[in-house]
Amino acid sequence: MTTFLDYLLGGLGSGAIIALMALSLVLIWRSTRVVNFAQVGQAMFTTFIALSIQTWTGSWFIALVGALAAGALLGVIIQYLVLRPVKRNDTSGAIIATFGVLIALQAAAGMIWPGGSQAFPQPFNNAGIEFAGRVWPISVYDFVVIGITALLVLGLTLLFTKTSLGLSMRAAAFNPEVAKLSGVRVSRVLTFGWALAGSVGAVAGVLVAPVSTISPNSFDILLVYAFTVAVIGGLDSLIGAISIGVFTGLVISLVSGYSDSGNAPIVALLLLALNLILKPEGVFSHHKARSV
Amino acid sequence: MVNLLRLPGARLIGHLAIVVVIWAVLLRINDAVDPLMSYYLALAAMYATAMFGMVILVGLSGQVSLGNGALMAIGGYVFALTSLNWQTVPILGWPWNPIWSMVFAGFGGIGVGLIIGWIGARLRGPYLAGLTLGIAVGLPAVATRFPELLGGETGLMLTVPYPEGGYAPAVADVPLDESAPTAEAVPLEQAPLDEVPLEQAPLEQAPLDGEGAGDDMLTADNFPSADSAASPAAEDLLTADNFPSAAATPTEIALPLDTALPTDADPIAAAGALLDSSFVLERWQATLAVTAACIIGFLALNLVRGRQGRVWRAVRDDSVAAAVAGISPAGSKISAFVISSFFAAIAGAVFAQILSYVGPGAFGLGLSLSLLVGVVLGGRASLGGAIIGGVLLVALPELVFKVAGERGWPANITDNAPNLVYGLLVVLVVLVAPGGILGGLKDGGKRLTTKSSTRP
Repeated sequence: MTTFLDYLLGGLGSGAIIALMALSLVLIWRSTRVVNFAQVGQAMFTTFIALSIQTWTGSWFIALVGALAAGALLGVIIQYLVLRPVKRNDTSGAIIATFGVLIALQAAAGMIWPGGSQAFPQPFNNAGIEFAGRVWPISVYDFVVIGITALLVLGLTLLFTKTSLGLSMRAAAFNPEVAKLSGVRVSRVLTFGWALAGSVGAVAGVLVAPVSTISPNSFDILLVYAFTVAVIGGLDSLIGAISIGVFTGLVISLVSGYSDSGNAPIVALLLLALNLILKPEGVFSHHKARSV
Repeated sequence: MVNLLRLPGARLIGHLAIVVVIWAVLLRINDAVDPLMSYYLALAAMYATAMFGMVILVGLSGQVSLGNGALMAIGGYVFALTSLNWQTVPILGWPWNPIWSMVFAGFGGIGVGLIIGWIGARLRGPYLAGLTLGIAVGLPAVATRFPELLGGETGLMLTVPYPEGGYAPAVADVPLDESAPTAEAVPLEQAPLDEVPLEQAPLEQAPLDGEGAGDDMLTADNFPSADSAASPAAEDLLTADNFPSAAATPTEIALPLDTALPTDADPIAAAGALLDSSFVLERWQATLAVTAACIIGFLALNLVRGRQGRVWRAVRDDSVAAAVAGISPAGSKISAFVISSFFAAIAGAVFAQILSYVGPGAFGLGLSLSLLVGVVLGGRASLGGAIIGGVLLVALPELVFKVAGERGWPANITDNAPNLVYGLLVVLVVLVAPGGILGGLKDGGKRLTTKSSTRP
């Protein structure tokens, strides 16, 4: 029983990171009805930027803020240059374009930061905390990750429910035509959605880098997890992305603990397939995923 | 006056004639060029085979799939397992022949395609793309979970069933290409000795043989008996002293999650490094790949230009209207998935024979992505686009490497340049010419002749 609890505790940190990544997919889906498969590419790119800032200034905090800004900028650039010009009825084209961006970003990162996998310096103690006579499988760093995730979720919730910008965003996502007639500058609001998602993804990247390594392809598996989580959560539900994200982190930790970490992607895939068979619209949403 | 073109079967014969001519011409070219070009021809034909399925799935049926690389893995592994483990066809007891392995590979693709298609065909665009993305990442990882059966990270070595002489890559003499990473070259050379099938039954004459000219490659003189083929290969494989130990390598082989597009996928580069040592092998591989591509291309041509092609387009453009017309949208999407899976599995079996190897590194996410890139750049709505895509996937990296070599770019720029070009081109094509290169050419032609336009 204590091993079970240990595995659960150990999965909290990675669950929070997966939840953040899924959140960035959800933010873009809500604003522009596109699943941004380039999201992990953007996060990888901004994490490399953060690594450069960290080596240059020596401050993890400045690196985090830098990644946040770079993520927003990259999101705006991609939305403006790539996704906005795609024809609205060409859904295949939008999906393919995001994969094109992913391939290009990974190649560009390989050019700018050569040398394959690189370690990201550990900003906080990542050893298990000693408390009440034993070592717990959760570290100071895990608490930092969970704290930052909670802060971001709180901020986004306040933004969407308490500000006029959040109201415009919801209106533009719900019905762009009517929103436009009501005076919402829809295209500007959509671009802001991409900026927001880029920042959230960038934070996820900076948070995951110290506990793994960073290379142009190292976040690919995170894309699979994040997509799984976003879909099970319903693709446009913030609370769905967060709760399913943490849940998936726990499942991955349990699977890795009791069997082998190599089984985790397979289990995630099974979860996704099961969800798409039984409840393709997701647990937290009511919109239609099936077309026929 | 009876219109000959409207007689039943006329179109079939017309398609057959087109395919046979292309097949004959490609085999002629294969005979005339040097082995490196034959190797490239084999790769391009293999890519085109898989992308015929992508055209049907992505272009005609409108389902963006990233799973076809994983379905190629199914074909490759079924081919490897059946040809390594079976001496006779089960139950029937017929002597084993690589063609049976190809057939079983195709069946494997159909089976897996049915399952994925059943889950995926009822889903809208991004859901299907995400599901197949998960499969592209997850399915090769399955291979690493069964190291005894599937060879784990190392994969399985194949002795290519090869009709002339012994396939004897005299290891010590192989001048390893400097660009080919040596660590990845190792697994190709260390065939597990106990798994090498001593029976290297030569492929019978290719099925299309006899219908076309230019088949002198396939005459009986070039097909020595199985025994003479087997012994030199076995001897050479037994001089294993200079091989690196098996234990040292598995961790160094490209992890499935770390592979980028096949330009980085090292088995290809490693196989390329073996070229000099086995002159005729490449010709055989190209013959095999071209023949498979032509057979699959013939099937695809008939499907795309027949009733089924119209059904797929109808469902893609308006599934409700198609349903009103009595078409089952789900059924049509599943059929597209199964057929593209079948094509992918055959391509995978060919790929396994080109690499002489199957492993998770060769069939990773990068392969799936490059199939998507190829078919989008070539033209996702027509079979000609798949052929252009296949040529592009082979030629573009070579072109970039050539330019890079002349300009003296550093390795990190050179290695990533093809993917950067691919990525940017894909975005550009989606924005500017959704029909790809072929669509762009057709549009240009239309503007000149001002015929009625059809959607790309």
